[in-house]
Amino acid sequence: MTPRSLALRFRRSLHNSRLAQIAAIFVFWGIGETTVRLAGLPVPGGIVGMALVLALLISGRLSLFSMRRGAQWFLAEMILFFVPAVLAVVDHREFVGLLGLKILFVILAGTASVMAVTALTADLYYRRRLAAEDRHALFE
Amino acid sequence: MPSSSEILLHGLFWSALTIGTYFLAKRIYLRWRQPFLMPLAITPALLILIVVTADETYRDYIRSTGWLVSLLGPAMVAFAVPIYEQRALIARHWPVLVVGMLAGTATAILSGWTFASLVGLDDALRLSLLPRSVSTPFAMVVSSDIGGAPDLTAVFVVLTGVFGAILGELMLTILPVKSALARGALFGVAAHASGTAKAHEIGHEEGSVAGLVMVLVGLLNVLVAPLIAHGLPYL
Repeated sequence: MTPRSLALRFRRSLHNSRLAQIAAIFVFWGIGETTVRLAGLPVPGGIVGMALVLALLISGRLSLFSMRRGAQWFLAEMILFFVPAVLAVVDHREFVGLLGLKILFVILAGTASVMAVTALTADLYYRRRLAAEDRHALFE
Repeated sequence: MPSSSEILLHGLFWSALTIGTYFLAKRIYLRWRQPFLMPLAITPALLILIVVTADETYRDYIRSTGWLVSLLGPAMVAFAVPIYEQRALIARHWPVLVVGMLAGTATAILSGWTFASLVGLDDALRLSLLPRSVSTPFAMVVSSDIGGAPDLTAVFVVLTGVFGAILGELMLTILPVKSALARGALFGVAAHASGTAKAHEIGHEEGSVAGLVMVLVGLLNVLVAPLIAHGLPYL
């Protein structure tokens, strides 16, 4: 068996197997973590791993089909990964009562503000850009 | 001192219980499909009930199940795929997306800090509340960067997601925004994955924008976290 046919077989099995793709994502994460530790970067290893995968996808060295199913698994089951941390709330019985209501108020008022500012800003800027494009079209 | 086999057994037990509860919660939602039964809400609710009933402390519980939380690291790598899939959207609308995300992130930090100070929350809570709008893996990183408690942030992120989807739908009926770009950004910036799911219900384009913006705004938050940490003492 030539190295070339071996590489082809490897790629085909990566395209077909979600488990292999999940393993590949772990490898990229490991590379990211190692890079961060060796270079002393102030970002998490996952971000470096993500940048690496993105660069490989954009440059065409990695096919989307080698990552897609594995990535979708991680994103679809994300609740399972963070739910243990949410249990921290059992150590905070003081949240039951006025303090909890205050926190809820901050979250609701804050979220409503973020929504209003984001949507209004984006919409305003989008319409300005559209109007500018129309003006250009008139003069062309 | 518990023996190592007891620790292993305890770990297996609570991990299996957590995973089992999660899949049960997903089945419950698929069976009845009520918004208040979304897995984001009932998985923690069921687990809290179990842990409190069993009189288990969080310290013991997280020692057994913390390995699940560490899977958020590789999950971050997975976000490369949705970014790549939405490259056409980025190429076409990046100025609007950038402006919307910057405005939204600044508002998230300032409004969180202002409202929390207004009702008199202490520093640990105020800091843990700041990254509530972004997806959990990013939010927990930001929280530890700025001196908050990452596990409390996870609690606030979940609350934001649960209420954000409903609140977003309400805001859309009040706000005079017509473009799918702005309507999607509203959900992606303010209410992460839960908002994105709601945006997909509203429209295909809104959903795509929300999903992309959610990832990008998470990244943006991680990158500006050191600046926030240095800037907050002056507020």
